[in-house]
This record gives sequence, structure tokens and C-alpha cells, in this order.
Amino acid sequence: MMKGLVKGLGVTLRNLTKKKVTYKYPDEPIKMPNRFRGVQHFDPEKCIVCNQCARICPTNCISLTGKKNPDPESKVKLIIDTFDLNFEICILCDLCTEVCPTEAIVMTNNFELATYSRDELFKDKEWLAANNTNIREENNVSLLKAKRGGAG
Amino acid sequence: MGDLLVQPLTWGSFLTFTVMAVLFLLLILGMVTYGIYFERKILGWMQLRPGPNRTGKLGLLQTVADVLKLLIKEDTIPSKADRPLFKIAPAISFVPSFVVLATIPYTDKLYFANLDIGVLYYVALSALSTIGIVLGGWASNNKYALLGGMRSAAQLISYAVPLVISAVGVVLISGTMNMIGIVERQEGWFWNWNFLPQILGFGVFVIAAIAELNRSPFDLPEAESELVAGYHVEYSGFRFAFYMLAEYVYMIAMSALITVLFLGGWHAPAPFLDFIPGIIWFILKFCFMFFFIIWLRGTMPRIRIDQLMSLGWRVLLPLSLANIFITAIVVEIIKAING
Amino acid sequence: MAIRTEELLLNVGPQHPSTHGVFRIVVKIDGEIIKEATPVIGYLHRGTEKLAEDLNYTQIIPYTDRLDYVSAMTNNYVLVSAVERLMQIEVPERAEFLRVIVMELQRIASHLVWWGTYLLDIGAMSPFLFAFRDREIIIDLFNELCGARLTYFYMRVGGVKWDAPDGWIEKVRDFIPYMRERLKVYDDLVSGNEIFLARIKGIGRYDAQTAIDCGLTGANLRCTGVKRDVRKDHPYSVYDRFEFDIPTRTEGDCYARYLVRIEEIKQSLRILEQAVEMFPEGPIMAKLPRVLRPPEGEVYSRVESPRGELGCYLVSKGKDSPYRLKFRRPSFVNLQILPKILVGESITNLITILGATDIVLGEVDA
Repeated sequence: MMKGLVKGLGVTLRNLTKKKVTYKYPDEPIKMPNRFRGVQHFDPEKCIVCNQCARICPTNCISLTGKKNPDPESKVKLIIDTFDLNFEICILCDLCTEVCPTEAIVMTNNFELATYSRDELFKDKEWLAANNTNIREENNVSLLKAKRGGAG
Repeated sequence: MGDLLVQPLTWGSFLTFTVMAVLFLLLILGMVTYGIYFERKILGWMQLRPGPNRTGKLGLLQTVADVLKLLIKEDTIPSKADRPLFKIAPAISFVPSFVVLATIPYTDKLYFANLDIGVLYYVALSALSTIGIVLGGWASNNKYALLGGMRSAAQLISYAVPLVISAVGVVLISGTMNMIGIVERQEGWFWNWNFLPQILGFGVFVIAAIAELNRSPFDLPEAESELVAGYHVEYSGFRFAFYMLAEYVYMIAMSALITVLFLGGWHAPAPFLDFIPGIIWFILKFCFMFFFIIWLRGTMPRIRIDQLMSLGWRVLLPLSLANIFITAIVVEIIKAING
Repeated sequence: MAIRTEELLLNVGPQHPSTHGVFRIVVKIDGEIIKEATPVIGYLHRGTEKLAEDLNYTQIIPYTDRLDYVSAMTNNYVLVSAVERLMQIEVPERAEFLRVIVMELQRIASHLVWWGTYLLDIGAMSPFLFAFRDREIIIDLFNELCGARLTYFYMRVGGVKWDAPDGWIEKVRDFIPYMRERLKVYDDLVSGNEIFLARIKGIGRYDAQTAIDCGLTGANLRCTGVKRDVRKDHPYSVYDRFEFDIPTRTEGDCYARYLVRIEEIKQSLRILEQAVEMFPEGPIMAKLPRVLRPPEGEVYSRVESPRGELGCYLVSKGKDSPYRLKFRRPSFVNLQILPKILVGESITNLITILGATDIVLGEVDA
């Protein structure tokens, strides 16, 4: 009558000696795989103010303005003036990186966004440019195919 | 200690008693603190995680931090609750569990009271803590608490009966209700300990004891996932700490009682190991019982209230009655054989 | 002389550890027996279907992730397959295989969550942690594949976004025997446990006719003996190429549902084995116009999600966002059985029955 109970007790007793499966976060950082969609990194040099990212964002969290390029020689007409990402509503879906033709906005593997007040969640161009650790390798898949020579 | 008790009361001995009682209270509080810590650690290890390990070295200060948190919390009393009953219920729950610790002999020299009706006194007092739980459930003015209180009243009263009756088997074998006498009768090798001759009584007693303690798998009164903490759902801060303290002190008292009644008290498993002091053996056996109760908590799901009642009345009670019957027959036969 | 009794009105939820989200049942109890039960939902309503009228099809897919957040891949698939059906797009084979592998892994993960939380409701604390440990392996696989742990946004109209990285298929292949071992350990720990069986057997019984009348699908229907599974009745993707059984039982109680779901995990492992063997090479995305404009029309596509039949009804007026998008959410429909079978049960059994119905509030409220 007690056989099932005794088997269950055996399972938990054996677990006492097994290795623990928890991570030692935050003492040891968690390594995310390369494709992880973390907080974005923005490179103002590459942006051509095409507005694709702001249009494709499902939650409308990107707002940007451009200004005329002071350099008359270059082909780029507009350069970026302000670029704001509202992390209260950004869902880290990476559609903005998917459509960016110059890979100006890419994702990193950082995920720690906790702040003490909501105002700090509005990240501007400088913060996003400075967030340049752990950048993801594959961002815009069509550009990737072009880089790799068209292989699937 | 025993000699002090039988002498006439003087100011000196009164002072000794008071100091020893206070020291014992502090010791029990310390044991509860580390009992809670060990429970969390063992449950964690069974679930492949480390348990508390950040506060203090190895998490040893975790319970201290928890108790401190509970002490500085706001003392909320629901507005329509019955205030005097609400305040007194945790105390009624806590006091009996501490008082019964006075009657248990820890070694042959270390005890606080040498009652000739030790077992009876213990069982009578432990039933009193039921009142605290029912009062807490009623006085909270909360339907969940009421359900929890009612469930617990039914459970505690129905499991007190097999608890007592299975202890009677031990009394029959030992011929005395005095706890020291019961332990002295169990000396020798470990097969003299009462759990082997009284195997049926031991099984019934352990199950009934876990039901009396409101521990898994019988923890319906505080079923965390159904009644959201049952009878103590409205308690916060220090009053909640009292209920938790009552539960753990009662767990310690019950483990100690099982050690005394069934596992041979302070005797070593074999006579040649007698050089190790009795208190160490007592502590080892007590720790084993404590671990067993925690082990059950980590493994078993919860029994439903009606299945619990039918288990208590339809299975445990007949088994314990059969135990008395068989014990009585065997004792008489042995007496007849020995002349 | 009878004792005077009064009926209590008890509110189970919306904040309750066992209601799997913000779900509320108002029960009238007499002692501990339920006389009447009324579910109240809507605490998690976020207006997904209305929001979808403003977004184009690729932008809606992240919203579908958050409907049934425990099994997001099937939600992605139902929307994507509706659009593909309307636009008559042919999805490349490797993409279909990736979709099947991912959906079956998701089914195992969702059933593990269900198993762990169901046992937690019943009172056993340890299986919850074991289940989540094994689910963590699946989630890590998904993390490597598409970059997220819960809201994947992996499928696109016409294929999938990412190809499997190197070594990923081998990891899936290694997971299958590991999971089979773990199922044996779970059996030891739980399925033979007498207390657990006494809690579950015979509770919440309903017959096949009631189930069909209430529109139940998934394990809730298959536990009564009706053998219906969208993967076999209306095969989608490449399911017709795999050999698997549909587990059914006839008792119709919570224990039957438990066994059906455990057996479903085993069948998913079987499908995974075959899919990993047959995995082809090729592109992962079909050739599509830049802006997706389905022709005018309406379409209903259905998928077997771990909770039942998940359907997506799409009405398109030729623009790049839908005119109306409606999801047939299985948890929402499965809840209809509750007021019927809860009458006469005790409160403890309410939790048991609710757990066996396996609802996810994100899906109930959308």
C-alpha cells in the first residue's frame, strides 16, 4: 500500500546528493547565446534617418529626428539629431534591427535594464551609443545573407 | 536537577529554576531559528537548489533576518475582527507547546519535572493548542481563515485520539506513565527500543503526530495553495511569528517525545557505545525525527479533508486499538510464562 | 432538530496562488460543498484583437506571443498560417520542419509547466522545481535558436526568421532520451503516489456528450474517449509525414487528463525523433513581396496547441493590416465546463479540477 510513497521518498532522498542546478547570478553573470535579443546599441555614424525602425515598431517606442548633413560632400542627406527609445514599452522584438538597412541599430546581449525611476527608462542617443558591449553578430538577416553570399 | 526538585523550595532553588527555565527558553528559541534554517536548506537540497545562502555565511543569518523583518512589520488587525480573541489566539497556541517541553527527560540527569503521569500530561496539554488555532480562524473575520480554522479543529481533534491510544501501548509495555521510567526500560541494544516491539504503535503514532503538527501531508489548515495560509491569513508581524514559533516548538517537542517513547531516549544503540554521553544520542535521534518530518514535507502532496478524516477514524483508530489488544495479550502471556 | 446553516459567498481570486493568473471564481458554499460557481474573467484583457486592426501582419506576431505565454510558438504559428493560407504562399520544407520541431518542443515545455504547477496546487512542492529544471533545457534551446526565452517572435509569414545554428539539431537529438529518463523519475515520484491518486481519481468527471456540447478540445476532450486532434483530423504543416498516436482515455476525470498529458509528452518526443531524422536542407523563407497585402477574403486556420484547438479567424479587406482578427482561444472555451462540474464538489476539489483544465489567463482574456 505504501509502495508509491516509498518510491517518492527515495527520489527526494537521492536528490540530496546531486549537483545544484541554480545559477549564481548576480555573483556570476549569465552568458546569453549570441542571438539573444537584449538592449539595443545605436551607432549614430551609420544612421541615414530612413525612419524604417520607427515605422515598423509594433509599440511605437522609437522617436527620432534628423537634421541636414553639414558635410555637403557625402551622399547621406540627413544625419541623426535625436534618437529616443522608450524602454517602458519596448518589447525587444528586434524588428527595428531587422529593417535597418545600415545596421545602425543592433541588439546586444545585455538584459539588465532595472532603474530606480521611470524617467531613466527613456534612453537617448548617447546612452544607446555607449551601450556597446556584447553586441550581437547577426542582426539584419538579409544583409547577413548578402555578407555570406546568398546561402540560406 | 532531580534532587533539586524533591527538596523543599528555598529562594536559592527558586532562583536556579527560574534561571534554568529562561536559559531553556532561549535555547529553544535558538533551536527554532536553526530548525527553520535547516528545513529550508534540506528542502532546497531535495529540490536541487542551495536554499538560503546569501545572508551571513552560508545563509546562517537568514532566519534572524526573517524574524527581524517580522518584528518591525506593522501590526494589522482587521477592522471587524474580534480584537481580544485575535490578540490572544497566538499566545494560546504557543504556550502549551513550550510547557510540554518541561516534562521530557533529555538525559537521566537533565529534566525539569519528573511527573508520574508524564505521557498523560503531555497529551492533555498538546490538545490545548487546538483552541488557539480555532480562535485565530474565527477572530479574523475572514472566510478563508474560518475554513482553515474549522478544518484544523476537525483534524486536530480526530488525530489526538489515535495519538493517545497508540501511546497507551508503550505504557502497557513499560508499566508506567513516567517518561523516565519508559526510557529506562529501553536500555540495552537497539532492538530493545520500543519501536520494534511496538511497530504498529510506532507507525500510527508518527502519522498521528504529523497530523497534529499540521505538517505535510496533513497541512490543510494552512494549505498554502488553497486557502492561502488558512487560519493565519490575517496575521502579520509579530503575531504571525508567534504562530510560526508555536508550530516549530511543537515540532521539536513532538520529535523529542517520539525519541523518548519509541527510540530509546538517551540510550546508545549498543552497550559498548555508552562512553558517548546520552545527550548526544538524544540529539542524534531527535535530529533524525526532525529530518524525517521535513523529508515528508518535500515529497508528499496534501491529503484532502474528507480523506484525512476517514484515514484517522477508519484506519488509524482501529489499528491503534488492535495494537493495545495485541500488546495486552502478549504482556499477559509473558507474565504467565515468567511465573 | 437541524442546525441552522448559512451559505457563504467566497471569492476565490483574483489574487490566489492556485488560479494560474488573475482568475476569479465566485462560489456559494455550504460548509465546504459548492452550491454554485460563477467564473469572472477579464482581469488580463489587453485588447490584442482590437490592436491588431492597426498593425500590419508582421507587427501583430509579437502580440500573439503574449496571448498564451506558456506556449508562444503555437500562437505564432496560427496567425502566420492564416495569412499564408489567404495569400496561398508555399512555405519551404526546412522551415516547416523547423516549425514542427519547435512546436513539439513547446508542447513538452507547456506540459511540464502544467505538471509542475498542478502538483504544487495539490501540495507537493518538489515536482515544480524538477519540471522547471527540465523546461529550462528547452528554453535554453529556444534561446539559442531565436534569441528569447518566452516570447519568441520566431515565425514569419512565409517561413521562420532564423535558421538552426550549428549543433542545435544535435542538442535536440540529445534531449529526447534525457526527457524519457526524466519521465520515468516523475512516474516514480508522483504517478504511483497513493495520496496523489486518492486526490485525483474520480474527481471532476464528465462524459463525452457534455464535453462536446461545451466545445472542449485538447486533453479535456480526449480524456472522455473522443479521439479528436487537429494534427490528425485537419493536418497542417508537415504533420502528415510523422507517425504518432493520439492518447485517449475513457474515464473523464482528472486522473484521465493527467495521464493523457503525460502520454502526449511521450508522443511529442516520438515526433521530435522523426523530425530530427528527416531534417532537410534548403531555404527558410519563401519569396514574398515587401509589403504583405493578402487578397480580400476570410480564412480560419487551426492548430493543436497544448491546451486544445487554437484558431485564428482573419478577415482581410486587401490592406496591409487585417480588418478583423479573432482568436478562438482554447482556455476560454474550456472554462465553460467549470460551472457545470463544480456543483457538489468541495473547495479542495475546485483547485484540483481547475488545475486539470489547464488554463492560461493570457489566453482566456486575450
